[in-house]
Amino acid sequence: MATKTFDVIVVGTGAGGSMALKLLCEAGLNVCALNSGPRIDPSEHYRQHRQVYDLKFRGYADPMALAGKVHQEWYSIEESEYSEGQDLFEHDIEYSNAPGTDWYWKRCKATGGKANFWGRSSARFGDIDFKAADLDGFGGNWPVDYAEIAPWFSKAERYMGVASTIQNRPSNPDGEYLPPVPFRCFDYILQKACGKIGIPYLHDRCAQLTVEHNNHPACHYCGNCTRGCDVGSFYSPTWFTIPDAEATKRLTLLTNALVRSVLVDEEGMAKGVAYIDRATNTEVEVYARVVVLAASCVETAHIMLNSKSRRWPTGIANSSGQLGRKLCEHLYGCPGYGYLPQLVGQPSTPDNIADSTVSWMPRWQNLKNPREEKFIRGYSVYVGGGCGEFPGHYRQLEGFGSEYKKNIKRYYPATVGALIQAPTLPSPKNYVDIDPEKKDIYGIPQLRFHFEWGENELLMWEHSKRVMIDLFKAAGGELWGADTAPNRPGTSLHETGVCRFGNDPKTSVTNKWAQTHDVPNVYVCDAGIFPNSTDKTTTMPIVAFTMRTCDYMLEKFKKGEHKRA
Amino acid sequence: MGGQGVERREILRYIGIASVAATFPGFQRWTFACANAAAHGVPANTPPKPYTPLFFSPQQFRMVEHLAEMIIPADDTPGARDAGVAEFIDFALANRVPISPRGDIRCTKDAIRQGDDAQGRFIGGLNWIDARSKFLFGATLLECTAEKQIKLLEEVAYKAKFTQTTEEGREFFQLIRDYTVVGYYTTKIGLETLDYPGLRVVWPKMPGCTHLDDPEHLHLKKPASKQSSAH
Repeated sequence: MATKTFDVIVVGTGAGGSMALKLLCEAGLNVCALNSGPRIDPSEHYRQHRQVYDLKFRGYADPMALAGKVHQEWYSIEESEYSEGQDLFEHDIEYSNAPGTDWYWKRCKATGGKANFWGRSSARFGDIDFKAADLDGFGGNWPVDYAEIAPWFSKAERYMGVASTIQNRPSNPDGEYLPPVPFRCFDYILQKACGKIGIPYLHDRCAQLTVEHNNHPACHYCGNCTRGCDVGSFYSPTWFTIPDAEATKRLTLLTNALVRSVLVDEEGMAKGVAYIDRATNTEVEVYARVVVLAASCVETAHIMLNSKSRRWPTGIANSSGQLGRKLCEHLYGCPGYGYLPQLVGQPSTPDNIADSTVSWMPRWQNLKNPREEKFIRGYSVYVGGGCGEFPGHYRQLEGFGSEYKKNIKRYYPATVGALIQAPTLPSPKNYVDIDPEKKDIYGIPQLRFHFEWGENELLMWEHSKRVMIDLFKAAGGELWGADTAPNRPGTSLHETGVCRFGNDPKTSVTNKWAQTHDVPNVYVCDAGIFPNSTDKTTTMPIVAFTMRTCDYMLEKFKKGEHKRA
Repeated sequence: MGGQGVERREILRYIGIASVAATFPGFQRWTFACANAAAHGVPANTPPKPYTPLFFSPQQFRMVEHLAEMIIPADDTPGARDAGVAEFIDFALANRVPISPRGDIRCTKDAIRQGDDAQGRFIGGLNWIDARSKFLFGATLLECTAEKQIKLLEEVAYKAKFTQTTEEGREFFQLIRDYTVVGYYTTKIGLETLDYPGLRVVWPKMPGCTHLDDPEHLHLKKPASKQSSAH
C-alpha cells in the first residue's frame, strides 16, 4: 500500500465524500477512499421490512449490548435494534465535552455514513441565507451567492431526485422537482389553519423518489426509510454514488480505516494521510497528490487539528486560527403536539408510510423586515402525525379497559406534532478543539466540544411554542403539550461551521471553492465549510457544493496545477 | 395462548410478506424471511409450552397477566393476554429494557440502575395493589370479584376517582400501563387492532388525503367523545 500513490484521497464516504469519489473517478482519476468503519450491506444492515415484533427487544435494543464499549449511549433514531450488533455506529472512540457542554455526537461509521438513514429534507439555501449579514448586520456574508450556486443545486437535485412543488417563496428558492409526496388529511387541515394566521404550510423538499428516477425504483412506501431503504428509492451513497464510483474501477475503498492525520511534505503541502487499520490495529500511510476531507464536519476539523507539523504547528491549514471555531447546529425540539378532533374516530390512514417530512412550515419570520422579531433570521417547522408505528398518545388518555383501548384507536389518526429547526448563530463560545489530556483507544488525541444554546435560537424556540398555540386554535385542535426544553445539542446531526469558507484567508479556513487557503491540495467536502446554519437542512447543499468543488479541482488537474500521480 | 401463539402467527406473517416480496420487482435482495424465523429459534411446529417467568414469581406473574388484561382487555379485538403482554413485561423487567425510565440512560450503568429501579417499582406496586385490595375488600386482587377489581383500579386510574394516600398506587398504575401498552402495541395483534398501515409494506403509491373537496374536514366532525385527555 505504501508504495502506490493515488491521484486523490477522499476521507469519508458520506453525502459529500461519496459524491467526490464518484465525480473524480468518473473523470478518470485514481482515487483512494478511507472509511472509518465497515462496509454497509443493505440486505443485512437495513431494516428490510422487519416489523417491531420481529425484534427480540421490540426496538428498544438490549440495554446491556454496549457494556464494555467506550461510548455506551445509543444513537436514538439512527441506530436501533434493526442494526444492533452490526458495528455500524461509533462506540469505540470517545469524545470530550467541556464543562457545561452536553453535545451528543452521533457518528455512523459504516460506508455512506449518516446519509444511509437521513431525513431527506432537501431545500435550497437562498440569498436570504448567503447574504443574511447584509440584511441584519450580523456576521459576514457567505463567499458564494445564489446565482453562482443555483446551477449546482439543480445538478444535485437532478442526480438525487427531490420531490416537491414550486412555491415562489422569498426564503426558499424553488428547484427541479419530482411530483410531491401527497398531503395527508391533517396536512390540509393545518394548511387551512396556517392560512388563517398568515403562516405558510407547504410540501417539504423531500429526496424521495415518488417516480422512478435515473434507474432507481419509485418508493414503495414501506415506511422503513430512516432504517435504510432496501431498494434505494431515496438518495444515499450506498445506492447512488458509491456504486457509480465503483463502476469506474478506479476506486480503492479502504474500510475500518480511521484517519489520524494528514501527512505533509517539506513545504507543508499534503502528501497523504496516516490511518489506523482497525482490523489489525496498525498505523498505515497512504499517499496522494490531493486530499479531500469529508469526514463529517467536526471529524474533519478533528483530523486537521491533529495534523500538526513544523509548518502547521496548530493543525494543517490553520494559519487563520479559525479551524474548529464557530460550531453551529440546529436547535431541535417539539414546540407543540396534540390532536385534531375532526379526525378522531376516522379509519386508520397510511399517513406515515412515506416516513418523511411530507410537509413543513418554511421560514416566515423576518422576511419583510429583517428585524421584525426579537430574534434575527428565522426557523422552519416540520409537521408529522397520523397513524404511526406506535400510539404514543396513549399517555394522554385516561383510564383502562375496553373504552381506553377503543380511545387509543379513535385518537390514532388524529394526532399531530411539530419539530422546530432553528439555526444557531455563530458564536465564539461554540467550537471544537483537541482535548489536551485525553486520547482515544488508538492513542489519538480526542475531540472536545464547547457548545451552548444562544439567546437568538432560544427566542426562536419560545416563539415557536406560541405559534403552535395559535395554530392549534386556528385548526380547532387541542394541544396536549410541548417539550419542556430543546433536545440536546448534536441531536439534529446538522453541525456546520468549523472549517468555514470565505474570501479572506485571515478569517476563514478555505476559499469559496472549499480549497484550504494555506494548503492548495487539501479540500473540504462536508458541512464544515458552511459559515452558519440556516432554517434548511445540510445534505443536499453538501452534495451541491461538493459537485462544484470537484469541478474546480478537476479544472486544476487539467491545467496542471494539481499533478496526477 | 401467550407468546408461543404469537410466535406461530409471526411465522405465518413471514410467509405472507415473503410472497408479497416475491412479486415486487425491487426485491432481488430479499433474504430475511426464512433466516429471520430461524434466528428466533422457533421451528414452525413447536407446540405451545407454559411460560416460565424470568423475573416474577408465578403468583406475581398471574397478577401482572390479569392487570394487563384489565388495562387492554379482549373485546371485539384480542387483548393483552392474547398478545402475550405479561411475558413481554416479565422479559423487559428481567432484561432491564427501559420501557418507562425515570431519567436519561447514557451508559450501561444507567441502564442497570434504571432497570433495578423498574424491578423495585413493579414488585412494590404489586404488593401495594394486594395490600389495598385486602384493606378495601379483605382479599387479594385475584381473589376479588371483577367489580371489586375494577373499583380498585379506577381509584388509581381516573383523576375524578383519586382518593387520599393512593399516590403510590397511581404511580404504579401508570407504570404497568406503560409496560402493557408497549407490550401490546409492539405485537402484530396490537398493530392489527390499530389497523397500522405499515403492516403492509408495499404500496403502489402514497394515497394521501381523499377528502379534497373539504380540506378542513368539517364533514367528518362527530360529537366529541366522553373521554377527554388526561393531564
